[in-house]
Amino acid sequence: MNDIIFENVNKYFFFQHQKTLKELVQAVFRRQKTLERIHALKNVNFTIKKGETVGIIGKNGAGKSTLLKLIAGVSFPTSGEVDVRGRVAPLIELGAGFHPELTGKENIFLNGVILGIEEKYLIEKFKEIVDFSEIEMKFIYTPVKYYSSGMYMRLAFAVAVFTQPEILLVDEILAVGDTAFQEKCLRKMDEFKKKGVTIIFVSHALETVKSFCSRVIYLRNGEIIFDGKVEEGINKYIYD
Amino acid sequence: MMVKLRKELINIFMIKYWSLIKKLTLREIKARYKQSFLGFFWVILNPLFQMAIMSFVFSTILKLTNLGVPYPVFLYAGLLPWTFFANSLGSATNSLVGNSALLKKIYFPREVLVLSTLLAKVFDFCLAFIVFIILMFIFKIPMTLYMLLFIPIFFLQFFFTYGLSLLLAALNLFYRDVQYLFDLVLTLWFYLTPIIYATEFFPEKYRWIFKLNPMSVFINAYRQVLFGGNFPKWESLGVGLLLSLIIYFISYRIFKKLEGTFADVV
Repeated sequence: MNDIIFENVNKYFFFQHQKTLKELVQAVFRRQKTLERIHALKNVNFTIKKGETVGIIGKNGAGKSTLLKLIAGVSFPTSGEVDVRGRVAPLIELGAGFHPELTGKENIFLNGVILGIEEKYLIEKFKEIVDFSEIEMKFIYTPVKYYSSGMYMRLAFAVAVFTQPEILLVDEILAVGDTAFQEKCLRKMDEFKKKGVTIIFVSHALETVKSFCSRVIYLRNGEIIFDGKVEEGINKYIYD
Repeated sequence: MMVKLRKELINIFMIKYWSLIKKLTLREIKARYKQSFLGFFWVILNPLFQMAIMSFVFSTILKLTNLGVPYPVFLYAGLLPWTFFANSLGSATNSLVGNSALLKKIYFPREVLVLSTLLAKVFDFCLAFIVFIILMFIFKIPMTLYMLLFIPIFFLQFFFTYGLSLLLAALNLFYRDVQYLFDLVLTLWFYLTPIIYATEFFPEKYRWIFKLNPMSVFINAYRQVLFGGNFPKWESLGVGLLLSLIIYFISYRIFKKLEGTFADVV
């Protein structure tokens, strides 16, 4: 069973040097660059099987985020085929759907529905979600703008965990938060791994990648330089 | 054939995404009213104050008469749908930019964001409409069943606003000053729509402008059903519907075409 197939995938996008019409007009008169075509992914091919844990490594701007966007379906390839089967849950930039003025409870439901969970299921699991987040009940009814950043993260992670994903996209989330909670997250991800959830893990924390992933893809300037054993890939990246 | 039709309908009405639309709409409404204790009142006070000031200027100083109904009610009936229109476009234009974090991460049809912003504005509109009914009582305007036609006209106006919102929201994502540019257009548009005056006050030579301006069509229709105790002029409403449809289809196609690049440009 293959979950994710990339076949000769190329992704170009236009980088806008100006974000307003005013700047654009100025730039045209001064003959500056306006749009720049960027080749973000170059002929990328890979297949990820169900239940694999794949770490994606590479420098900033190597195309890691673009790759995740294509898997999440928010961006489309310029040429080639992307085939993704299964429920994708992004565990990236936690709390993207949170609103500071709303209470913790309201945000659980809002974020849950954004992630595609049914409301009925959320009502059922509400208590479990709160328990997992380790946030006291009295804070669940206060606006999240009064939360500490740790509490905020814990709540967001708790909601994401309950989405029952088939494919989990993890982007640098473990860089923040205290060690105890980081470990809890990793334990939860281990649980997912055992359940056969496919996990795509983007991180600069090479130690975590080493201990957690079964395969590594190393990207450089939009090209796959290495795809295979974790140790070998990481060494290649370090000595590059 | 039937299966295909059903699939089409599910897509058009975004059946799968109604709970998401509901949640996002509630987010907009709740968040706004939590921020300020007076939240609900601002929505009512704003058009009411505008109405009071303009009534004073135009009925006491300029002495506009012969409208059939007292000027404050006449004005409010135009100001209310206009406020809805202008506020909706303002918020909808920012609806994609303001949710860029979501655009980059999770897939759902992007028009959901635009639609829920507009629905939150419908809530405001309903609140301000209560004041209108009170005004009708104060000025002893006779109530008729024709007034109920207000609702289908509002649906039409909503549809027109939605079409335009899709286009503006998408363009604003590429160039952030589209909103400022459109503010200028709105100011001009306000004066070219019979809100503070009636169509009859406009030089006859230029009245064709109103026929091609959907907002003018809607506001005239509102006044006909609310004050005239009559059906609206169907042929001009027809033109309004046609223009709304054209704008919707063009905007929707552009929106869908650009949708795949939203995540790349934010």
